[in-house]
Amino acid sequence: MDRFGLSRRTLLERLSLVGGAALMMAGMEALGYGIASASNAPPPLPGSAKGKKLIILGAGVAGLATAIEAMKAGYEVQIIEARSFAGGRAQTARKGFSLTELGGETQTCDFDEGGYINHGPWRIPYHHRSTLHYARTLGVPLEIFVNDNDASYLFFENGKGPLKAKAVRKGQIAADARGHAAEMLAKVARKGGLDDMVTPEDRDRLIAYLINEGYLSPKDLAYTGTEGRGFDVDPGAGLDPGPGKPSTPMSMTDVLSSGAWRVLSSVASYDQQHTMFQPSGGMDQIAKAMERKVAPAIRYSTVVQKVAQNAGGVEVFVVDQAGKASSVKGDYVVCTIPLSVLRSIDMQVSPRFKQAIGAPSYAPVGKIGLQMKRRFWEEDDHIYGGHIYTDNPDILSISFPSWGWMGNKGVLLGYYNFGGNAAKISAKTAAERAAFAVAFGQKVMPQYAENYEKSFSVAWHRVQYNLGGWVEWNDDTRKTEYPVLCEPDGRIYLAGEHVSYITGWQAGAIESAWQQLAKIHKRVQAA
Amino acid sequence: MSRQSMRVAAAALALAGVMAGSARAQATGEQLYNDNCSACHQTTGQGVPGAFPALAGDKVALGDPKVVAFVVLTGRGGMPAFKDSLNDADLATIMTYVRSAWGNRAEPIAEAEFAKARTGPPPSARLQAH
Repeated sequence: MDRFGLSRRTLLERLSLVGGAALMMAGMEALGYGIASASNAPPPLPGSAKGKKLIILGAGVAGLATAIEAMKAGYEVQIIEARSFAGGRAQTARKGFSLTELGGETQTCDFDEGGYINHGPWRIPYHHRSTLHYARTLGVPLEIFVNDNDASYLFFENGKGPLKAKAVRKGQIAADARGHAAEMLAKVARKGGLDDMVTPEDRDRLIAYLINEGYLSPKDLAYTGTEGRGFDVDPGAGLDPGPGKPSTPMSMTDVLSSGAWRVLSSVASYDQQHTMFQPSGGMDQIAKAMERKVAPAIRYSTVVQKVAQNAGGVEVFVVDQAGKASSVKGDYVVCTIPLSVLRSIDMQVSPRFKQAIGAPSYAPVGKIGLQMKRRFWEEDDHIYGGHIYTDNPDILSISFPSWGWMGNKGVLLGYYNFGGNAAKISAKTAAERAAFAVAFGQKVMPQYAENYEKSFSVAWHRVQYNLGGWVEWNDDTRKTEYPVLCEPDGRIYLAGEHVSYITGWQAGAIESAWQQLAKIHKRVQAA
Repeated sequence: MSRQSMRVAAAALALAGVMAGSARAQATGEQLYNDNCSACHQTTGQGVPGAFPALAGDKVALGDPKVVAFVVLTGRGGMPAFKDSLNDADLATIMTYVRSAWGNRAEPIAEAEFAKARTGPPPSARLQAH
């Protein structure tokens, strides 16, 4: 402790108040709590498939990845898919796409030609090498997904002070929060306030770093703004505007009391970092490219009723669209059906396995696409992609499309909500959801309502065959139940994002598929 | 989809929302239920077979208030945890409504039951196995 009464820990805690709690989260990521994608490529499957037949339940990316690699290795493959199309949650809503939520009305997407919303997965971090593997090897064109934009707005309604419920550009909050914090810490350091924590050499280096970090005056360590936060009048030609007019920073009090600093972190969490990708034309393009490799092996519109097994093989009982029941026999099952759905299917597995299937919860998740008459965010506000973050948990974020730059119309994401808030918003009709989203957006940008044309929304917890956005393992179930599902029950193997630590991402689905297939192949070789 | 960081942000932001929400005028149990629960359990309390359980006649919903409070706060199966998005008063109002609607007959649940369940241990081990 020094005369300021600051322990190292307290200092860190105070720093985190300024830098955002996520600063500590970033530290946790660095300590290995992060979500990394570990596999570059499918596993080698040397040897023979020995004429074995795999029955794959579900033609989402996990099932498709299993099928592609198993067929390459010589397995006979049959995929059972409940829907009339492949891809699972990797869906894109564009003109003609139709979805009926359980207990809801049928929505048919009516966006203009070329417009779309990825209402399922929508971005691919650069380190999700498994997802990128299929994009690359199957020739799916990718483009950049703008996942961070200093020019975009923060809109916090629950704070205090002059920034409350005011759209402020993220870069300005970042510059001022960090500038003021750096100034305070640098001044404390220069006065000797940190001398019991740092050597004199480190103190000087720390001050140098803080000058650099916060754009402080080297002379008096003052933060008086920086050109990176933008100008009141932009620099230009000649003498007028000439050098332009610098902008004035907001006060530390205003920034802190606004709460908008909550979005700031030293570094983005691992799965949110640049470079972020998206497939050109919609996320479903990767799944569709995968589907083309294995389409003849897929039985569409066929619903699994029961999965049976004995020492000699597996038998999957299904019902087709016409209601006709039949069964498919094989040697092994790779079941990619989400646990939220699987728990209601008659599975001939051990009571322990069955218990594990029923253990985790699934995340209610809602998204809405809003087609706008013109790209006012680009034209008027100079925002090209990225997100508006809010502290309204029913909205959370509004996101601008990273496609069709400078085009006429655009589809933006009007909300992305989770948990109880997603449950709440999903109780509304499609029109009410849109009205809610537009009314909120109008508070942030005055051009919102007059430009709104049409919407398409999804509540994943109400989507048949998914019943949730993604699995939610907690510390307990991850420890006791998850390991049970990573191993086969007899001849039944599970795959999907739920059998990974990359939950909610396509990479988790693909890599679990690769891992389970490798296990099956090893077993076949050993037999 | 987007994950961990979004969820962390969601939790932090949701907290702010609860604080703001607690000041609003008292809503009826039916309104609160329809707003927060009916997307899945339906306004009729009948659920959707194979996906969302009916609450009309449901043994858990009509059973031990301790269990009800725990399940609603922490989530179960496809149901989210409501501890961050609803306050104790609203949860008590909703569950009291559920326990008296659609022919259900069970005693009201007090706000204090939820406050207790927020801090206490799970009411019974059998909740873990379902």
